[in-house]
Amino acid sequence: MGTDLFPPINFIPVPSAVEGIEVYQPAPVKLPAHREVVQFNCPQCGANTAYSAADSGLTCTNCGFYEPPEHAVVGIQAQRFEFTVDTVQRAAQGWGEARKELQCQSCGAYTTISTDSLTHTCIFCGSNQVIQHAAPQDVLRPRFIVPFKIEAEACHDIARQWLGQSWMTPRSLRRVATIARFTGIYLPFWTFETVTKAHWQAEVGHNQTERYYENGEWRTRTKTVWQWESGRVTVPIKDLVIAGTNRVSPLLLTQVKNDNLAELAPYEPKYLAGLQAQTYDIPLETAWEQARHLMREQTRRACYDQASNSKIRNFHMNLDFDQEGWRYILLPMYLTTYQFDNQRFQVMINGQTGAIAGQRPVDWTVLWLAVAALLAPGLTVGVLGFLTLMLGGLGFPIAIFGFILVVIGLIISFNWVNKAMRMDDA
Amino acid sequence: MLEPDVITTAWHANLTLTLCEACDSHYLLPPGLFPFKCPTCFEADLIEIEAERQPNDLLHHYAPELLIPFTVSQQELTARIQQFTGRIWFAPSDLKPNTLLNRLQRLYLPMWLVDSGVEALWQAEVGFNYEVVSHRDQFDQNDGGWHSQQVTEQRIRWEPRLGRLNRTYHNMPAPALEQHTQIMQQLGQYHLTEAVPFQAQALDQAVIHLPDRPPTDAWPDTIPAFHAAAAEECRQASRADHLRGYRWTSDYRDQQWTLLLLPVCATYYVDDEGRPQPIMIHGRTGRLSGPTRASMKRARTTALIIVAVAAALFILSLILGGISFMAPPLLILAGISLLGALIIGMLAITPIIVVWQYNRNQSNRGEREAQ
Repeated sequence: MGTDLFPPINFIPVPSAVEGIEVYQPAPVKLPAHREVVQFNCPQCGANTAYSAADSGLTCTNCGFYEPPEHAVVGIQAQRFEFTVDTVQRAAQGWGEARKELQCQSCGAYTTISTDSLTHTCIFCGSNQVIQHAAPQDVLRPRFIVPFKIEAEACHDIARQWLGQSWMTPRSLRRVATIARFTGIYLPFWTFETVTKAHWQAEVGHNQTERYYENGEWRTRTKTVWQWESGRVTVPIKDLVIAGTNRVSPLLLTQVKNDNLAELAPYEPKYLAGLQAQTYDIPLETAWEQARHLMREQTRRACYDQASNSKIRNFHMNLDFDQEGWRYILLPMYLTTYQFDNQRFQVMINGQTGAIAGQRPVDWTVLWLAVAALLAPGLTVGVLGFLTLMLGGLGFPIAIFGFILVVIGLIISFNWVNKAMRMDDA
Repeated sequence: MLEPDVITTAWHANLTLTLCEACDSHYLLPPGLFPFKCPTCFEADLIEIEAERQPNDLLHHYAPELLIPFTVSQQELTARIQQFTGRIWFAPSDLKPNTLLNRLQRLYLPMWLVDSGVEALWQAEVGFNYEVVSHRDQFDQNDGGWHSQQVTEQRIRWEPRLGRLNRTYHNMPAPALEQHTQIMQQLGQYHLTEAVPFQAQALDQAVIHLPDRPPTDAWPDTIPAFHAAAAEECRQASRADHLRGYRWTSDYRDQQWTLLLLPVCATYYVDDEGRPQPIMIHGRTGRLSGPTRASMKRARTTALIIVAVAAALFILSLILGGISFMAPPLLILAGISLLGALIIGMLAITPIIVVWQYNRNQSNRGEREAQ
């Protein structure tokens, strides 16, 4: 330990509980002063600036000024937080107030905004503002973000292509549908990780064939022999993504959600400039409960896989969650609606990957015709076989063939109808 | 040359400085105990060192500061000694409970205590306890599926700290005898929290062993105690729950050396070869330690008696064999007698083997303890 320089650089004194002993600790990383509202104006021309997915930074549409993000992408190495008693209690309390009055720093106009909004565009002067409810050191503010990669303009093409993709939708859908403007929005998500450690025991059944003598002849029969087995399973689960909002259809979110967090970057207000963003409304503990449900089912499957056979009864397992961690992140989404046949349909596009999901109207007439066409050959062959049988010909194999065709047709029809109902309900 | 009243000044008691010429140990003896056997080796009587013959390097002028009083009772001493003597087969004739109890002497062993000011730069990782919420779940196919239980676990958050220290530490202990470590291994440790301030009356006719390690030799042994005390205080100064990886660069000043007295009862027995075998008893716990030697002389005597019995039986079998020419049934008795003589004759070696093996095991144990 060198004595030349004391205290070392970046160490600050802290109060000591013992006289005659000085204590120094590393100086905390200097966080930027907490600004509740961050306004984005071009330093060159004073016009509004906004985040550009094309340039991956802040740009001014007026003079072309460009400002890149301050921090590099950290990906899955992004810091995780523990479920400290304090954090869990605070997360359960929520934001405390429903709405907040905000004064525009450009034009001075007052607007009332919901506390679940992280951004605001002044309706009077059009300036972009980012609202930071929590101080920078607060763990319950968005810490990481996946920036938009897909531009809003590209979303129209993606949507048009998707609308015309399925034969079940009306033929004119792609052409006639009026797609509204795509709104870029950062939605809140929680990510969770843990190592599940399970000890299981169960009776595992193995089929055994045995010969036995009955009524003067040898026969065989199969019986199940049950044996107790037990084992230990350790399943590391990383970055399980759970939605932090109830305001968007969970079905759509599941379809477009991307679990690849390689492009996670430290949160900066400039990513949100000119876009919409929401805070979480599903609290940490509720989301963690959902995640635990998925995790323990995954662990249960791993235990089943460890058994020597899939035939299992009296299954019992004890599961310990270890090294639990969480993150509060924002993921980019585009939301819009389109109008067709006087009806509105919701569409969502992942702003990182371009994955799309949404409601599409189904042309049920086309679908039922297709089902009828599918079943017709089987029915025809079946009737033919039956008639031939009545007339004493080779009707039986033909009837069987017809029956098989009908069964295959029913299976495919069932899938079609199922898919169509999902498209309609999404 | 030291002043003649140096002992009285330091010890506030009228004590006589003595020497054992056999083991070169120095003692302070209360008046009226002469002649007195050396309580360490019991080889020779202690001789008084006159004031004008006292060597300069003697360590009798260091004052005692603390003393751990004797608490072991006479009943417990008797019980321990009886237990000790009872466990030896073919014990030497001198190894008797009453003999050991009669020879019991109360002795104080010295230990250095040093007070010193310390200035240091230190650095460590300090740990703060915090609680996290975790879960333990249970699944039972026959009992409605999942049951979840929330548990709170304690974890430690480690953070670096460094600082400066300027403190004075008191009574850091260090061995004052060369044999200290070995004695503590045999008797067990003493707790410094049991020490009381020294008072001459508390000596109560006990003999005091003087240090044979000067403070300069003992100083390096005190450093770990200073290190541990400083580490603990730095943890408290940081308001932390734990501390690890404590490192420092330290300077010491104003060292003050005093003595701590540890209570021991000493006694001895004489073995076959006429050598005294010292025994020590912890003055607080009553734990006893000393070499146990079985008597080969007694084993041989026993073996000879058994051989004599076997020989008598053999002669009897010969006589019965001779008579059996006239009275043939006696031949059976002669055979039995001969067989008995053979078996008993073979058993005669047993006491010698037992004693040899016992003494060998004790020697090996002694060597291991000495290491």
